[in-house]
This record gives sequence, structure tokens and C-alpha cells, in this order.
Amino acid sequence: MRKNRIHHIIRLLFVFFCMNVVWYIAYLLMNHSILPSPFAVYNAMFHLGGQEIVLNVGYSLFRIFAGVVLALIIGLLIGLLMGRSLTWNKLLDPVVYLTYPVPKIALLPVVMLFFGLGETSKILMIMLILLFQIIISVRDGVKAIPENTYDVLTSIGASTVQKFWHVTLPGALSVILSTIRISLGTAISVLFFTEIYGTEHGMGFFIMDAWLRLDYPEMYAGIMLFSLVGFVLFLLVDFLDYKFMKWRGVQR
Amino acid sequence: MSNSRNKGLVIKDLKVEYKVGQLALGQMDLSLPEHGIYTIIGPSGSGKSTLLRAIAGLLPSYMGQIFFNEKSVNVKETLIGLVPQNYGLLPWKTVHDNIQIAMKISHTASISKQERENQINQWLSSMGISDLADRYPLSLSGGQQQRVAIARAFAILPTILLLDEPFSALDAITRETLQILFLDNWLAHPATTLFVTHDVEEAILLGQKIIVMPSNKEETPEMIDNELVFQMKHEDKRDSVDFFEQTKRIRKVMQEIW
Ligand SMILES: Nc1ncnc2c1ncn2[C@@H]1O[C@H](COP(=O)(O)OP(=O)(O)O)[C@@H](O)[C@H]1O
Ligand SMILES: [Mg+2]
Repeated sequence: MRKNRIHHIIRLLFVFFCMNVVWYIAYLLMNHSILPSPFAVYNAMFHLGGQEIVLNVGYSLFRIFAGVVLALIIGLLIGLLMGRSLTWNKLLDPVVYLTYPVPKIALLPVVMLFFGLGETSKILMIMLILLFQIIISVRDGVKAIPENTYDVLTSIGASTVQKFWHVTLPGALSVILSTIRISLGTAISVLFFTEIYGTEHGMGFFIMDAWLRLDYPEMYAGIMLFSLVGFVLFLLVDFLDYKFMKWRGVQR
Repeated sequence: MSNSRNKGLVIKDLKVEYKVGQLALGQMDLSLPEHGIYTIIGPSGSGKSTLLRAIAGLLPSYMGQIFFNEKSVNVKETLIGLVPQNYGLLPWKTVHDNIQIAMKISHTASISKQERENQINQWLSSMGISDLADRYPLSLSGGQQQRVAIARAFAILPTILLLDEPFSALDAITRETLQILFLDNWLAHPATTLFVTHDVEEAILLGQKIIVMPSNKEETPEMIDNELVFQMKHEDKRDSVDFFEQTKRIRKVMQEIW
């Protein structure tokens, strides 16, 4: 188990190193300012003020978190309603079915018109991207829990809240986590778009700002940092999966 | 009716249909005194599980009435310990947490955390599964899961204990061990117990009364008194003449109504 993890980390570091080598070779071949060398980029990264990094990364992380949490709360409520009640499912299913194929990113101008250029529209966009996926996966996850899983708790008089907390939520958590994992990539891309306008903070702003100033090493440094943010988020989902999904492992 | 006859678990005109016009459980009329073990035996599909589900309050509707000590059975005071046919453990909780959550929900705030931990450990050790406390159900064998489910049902100190073929996944030897464990625990906390089994010997070894379900839903179930065997020491039961007689008698009833 432990040995496996160390191997995994070594493999990741090795691939990371190889990518840098490829990058360096490309830099030597191109010999042009639009592709700086890895050293120049890492140098630029180290010369960024710690405060600047924390502020930009912090803003981006906050927007993602707010969007994810909002999508989770609303998605859980609606998905649960649809999973547990036939009437609500019949009522809401066509709504989800019709709105699901709408490319959410295309709603960006609409959201900006309604909610302005500030934080609200940025968070709402991320929420919109995740919401429908979460609704559908919660609904299916909840439906997939066998009805008799509730029996023992029902027979000792558990309340609806207790049943939700001890059966429905953990039963559907696995699908919820994999949905978040899948939608997180899209959410990060959308975050980039929304940070281009109406803000002075966030990784999207940072990258585009460096680009406008023709400061390419700093632009690449921003891209690396942004990727790091994405990587940390994936690690977080992996950690949650590890923490809450232990029960699936059938190792004796 | 006199007062004493209404004590215990009383089932009146109970009938269950899942689909209209299709009886899942034919008419049941039972009057079972408190603090007894009643074994139920019957062919599959005769409604044994359905009867337990009705008592446990898991059916959306049924005809007739179920009382415990003159109160409807589905009130809070009648605590029900259920061991479902599929054990009913929550796969995402450890053995310890499965028992803990059942205790928390059934006895809101009445005991301290420390006291609860002691009780959980005691039930785990009395079922011989102390070393499984931190394991998840999916990593356990069927027999181990059944022990956990039984420990959980005992741990909430129920008024009524309902067990649906609780030893079905066990080999003969483990089965005997568990029967003894079960009886010992029951003697210490004699809840009114309905015990479904498909094994004639088990029905005779454990029950004070034996209820034989008919295969035809229109017929009424047969109730056989088993007090003679029940009063013996468990080790002696199997070799006794009464046990032998009882086996013959039940097989005869089974031939008639199955
Ligand atoms: N959830 C259900 N929906 C419809 N019919 C059911 C359901 N559960 C059981 N039945 C039917 O009710 C009858 C009694 O089932 P059950 O109580 O499980 O019998 P047993 O436990 O004695 O084998 C069977 O004919 C079975 O097909
Ligand atoms: Mg059954």
C-alpha cells in the first residue's frame, strides 16, 4: 500500500521532469521570446511576491469553492427530491432533460447581463457548469440505493434527517465525488474565462495581464501556478474519495 | 377478553397484499405472550418475511391490527430490533459504527458516550467478533455479517426482536455455536422474539412455540407448543425423546399444509 504510493509519486515526479526536458528542447529549437526556457519561468515564479501569489491563487480557489459548494447544496436538494419522489422526478425530469444539452459556457454573457461583472457572475458560472451533472448523478445515485438499506433505521424510528445523513448521503457520495472529479476540469476552464473581465485578482487575470504586458516568463509562471491549483483540487477530491470510500475496498 | 390475554404481541386479522388481489400473507391471528421466543417455519413465499416487515413497520399498508401490550406496535415505546434476511448492515459504516448508530438513534441521549462504548464492546465480544470492530461489512463473510447484525439488534435492548433466517449463511458447526450464543444473550435480555428459519431442527431447538406457515394463503398457520424441549438444557435437546417426537410432529404438519 505505502510502497505503491511512493512508486506512484516517483513516477509522477519523473514524468514532470521529462516534460521539462521536452520543454527545454523545444525552447532551444525555437529560440524565440514567446517560449521562454523553463529556468526563466521558474525564476519568474520565484520572483513573484508571496503576497501576490496568495492573493491570486486565493481568489481563484475561493471562486471555485463557492461555486462547487453552491452547486452541491442545490444539486443535492434537487437530485434528492428527484431520486426519492416519483412525482418530483416526473415534474423535473423534462426540465433537466431540456436544459442539460445547453452549453453552459454560452450562458456567460447572459449571466454577466443579469449579475454584472463582479464575483456573483463568476461563482454562478462555475455553479451552472457543475449543477446539472450533480443533479443527475445524485438522482441516479440515490435511486441506486436498494430500498431495504433503510429498513433497520426505519424500524427503530429514525427521522428523515437521520436517514438522509446515514444512508442517502453516504450511499450517493461515490457518484457525487466522481461527478465533481469529472466536472472540475470544465469548472477550472470556465473560471479562467470569467477572470478575464471585471476583476484585478485571480489566476485568469494574472495570466492575461502578463500576456498584455508581454512578460512571457511571468505568463508561463501564471499558467504553471494555475495548473498547480487544478492539481491541488484533484488531490483534494482524491483525498475525500480515499477518506469516505474506504468501505468499498474488499481487502480482508 | 381478559387483560392477560392482551399482554404481549397480539396480531389480529392481519393480511398483506403488495399488489391488489394478490395475498403476500394470508390471514394471521396470533397472541404471543411477552418475553418468549417464537420460531416461524414455512415454505419460501409463504409470507414469513412479510410478517416481520409488517411488525417492524416497514410496510406502507396492511389489513388488520398489530398490538404490543395493548398499544399499536408502531409507537415509539415499542423498540424493534430487526435482523433482516440480508443482514441490513450499512456498508459505509464499520462494524462498530453500525452498532453505535443504531444505539444513538434508538436511545436518544439517554446514556453517556463512555457507557455506550462499553456496551458496544460487550456485545461485540459476546458475539465473538471483537476483532472485527473496525472492519467494513463488505470485507466480512456472510456469517460474520450475521453476527454483527444480531449484535446490533441486541445492543438496542429492543422490546420486540425480529430475526429473518439469521443463521442461514452458516455451516452446521458455526450455526450451533451461534444458536447457543443467541440463547444465552436472549436469556439475559428476553425480548419478545420472532425467529424465522427454514430449518426444522432450529425451530425446535430455539422456540417456545413453533408457528408453521401454510403454503396456501387461504389456510391458517399452525401453532405448536414446544415448552418441553425449550425448558431443557441446550446440549441435551438434540438427543431427547421430546425433540424426536417434536420433529416427527412438525414434519407431519408440514406434509399436511405445505
Ligand atoms: N416487495 C414486494 N413486492 C411484491 N411482492 C412481494 C414483495 N415482497 C414479497 N412479495 C411476495 O410476497 C410473498 C411473500 O413473500 P415473503 O414474505 O418474502 O416470503 P418468505 O419470507 O416466506 O419467503 C411472495 O409471493 C413474494 O413474491
Ligand atoms: Mg423471507
